[in-house]
Amino acid sequence: MTTLTQNQSDPFKFSEHYTGYPPFFTLQTSASARQAQLKRWSRLIQRYCRHYKIFQISIVDYQDKDLFRNAKLNKKLYPEDIRTVIDFMVSQDGQQRAEWVTSAKASAWIWWRRPEEWATSIAAWVDETGQKGSVLTLYEIVEGDASENQEFHGMDMEVLRKGLAVLAKQNRAQVFGTDDQQGVKFF
Amino acid sequence: MGNSGSKISSQDRAILDMKNQRDKLKQYQKKITVITNREKEIARVCLAKGEKDKALLALRRKKFQESLLSQTDAQLEQLEKLTSNVEFSLVQKDVVFGLQRGTEVLKMINKEMGGLAAVEKMMEEGAEARREQEEISEALAGQLSNQEEDEVEDELEALEIEMNGVSLPDAPNKTVITDGDLPNTPETELDREQKQKERAKQRRAQLQAA
Repeated sequence: MTTLTQNQSDPFKFSEHYTGYPPFFTLQTSASARQAQLKRWSRLIQRYCRHYKIFQISIVDYQDKDLFRNAKLNKKLYPEDIRTVIDFMVSQDGQQRAEWVTSAKASAWIWWRRPEEWATSIAAWVDETGQKGSVLTLYEIVEGDASENQEFHGMDMEVLRKGLAVLAKQNRAQVFGTDDQQGVKFF
Repeated sequence: MGNSGSKISSQDRAILDMKNQRDKLKQYQKKITVITNREKEIARVCLAKGEKDKALLALRRKKFQESLLSQTDAQLEQLEKLTSNVEFSLVQKDVVFGLQRGTEVLKMINKEMGGLAAVEKMMEEGAEARREQEEISEALAGQLSNQEEDEVEDELEALEIEMNGVSLPDAPNKTVITDGDLPNTPETELDREQKQKERAKQRRAQLQAA
């Protein structure tokens, strides 16, 4: 599920390569140039998703959005190339900043924050607000008034679950309850 | 279901159920504000067209929805107290009952939700629309307490006065008058009681005539 809140009053600032360098949209053949280019795209995608609080992108949906298509330059990154970029992001080299949702490689999670990082951030908030030992619903963590100024506010439920799974493995939390009425207790 | 350790007690589960109800309620509150605002608008438009009955119906629905919400609010507060009670096992039965009651009310609220589309239907003319409106009227009859009925009629009066431009210092598109702050002709305690009695009489007469 993608969360898309295009913030018109605070538009995203694209990098220089995106705005002024057409070759940026064509995958380079030389190995070293390609590496650098992939890294740049990775950074751009992460920054963009972080800005708009997007957690998952589907290639079909995003290929014509401004993330991959620069209308002014009349240049776009084609779907096969988007796939290549995301493959890079999935790899060790790309620091595992992405994860394919299925092997069909149609959609991918974009970890501008990895689940482990979310786990830390949520655990810290729970601690600061003295909510350790209390039961919280998953809903209130991402939608409640209490978390409004936190970065994970409005976060995709799937991502929250992944973050909490990390904490559960560390025995710092346990999720319980059924379906979409789940809750979590922090220890 | 995560049943691995027993780090999650039955009290925890009860608290989760309670909090889930609270979350649902909060979501409804957000949605319902949109709807009740629209109901008030509709009442205004109907009044302007001289359709007093429709206006009254709109206000009645709004009042009913609001009363459902405040009922649940009160229940939730009660539940919260119960579930945080250290002697939880003693009050467990009460909690279960409270949760059940809460669910019933939420179901009612859910039915009211029909959404904006349902509310907009009130603006429609025609035989079918009128029949539907009568159905709703009947369903509502008896759902509002006498006091609530009074409040609805007060609201209608207030709307009428406001629309006939009686000395309002505010610009026409400022926010509307809420229940408490429109000073009608100075009413003494006696006047209010008199009004209530008269209205009760009228309602009985209407019921008998129906």
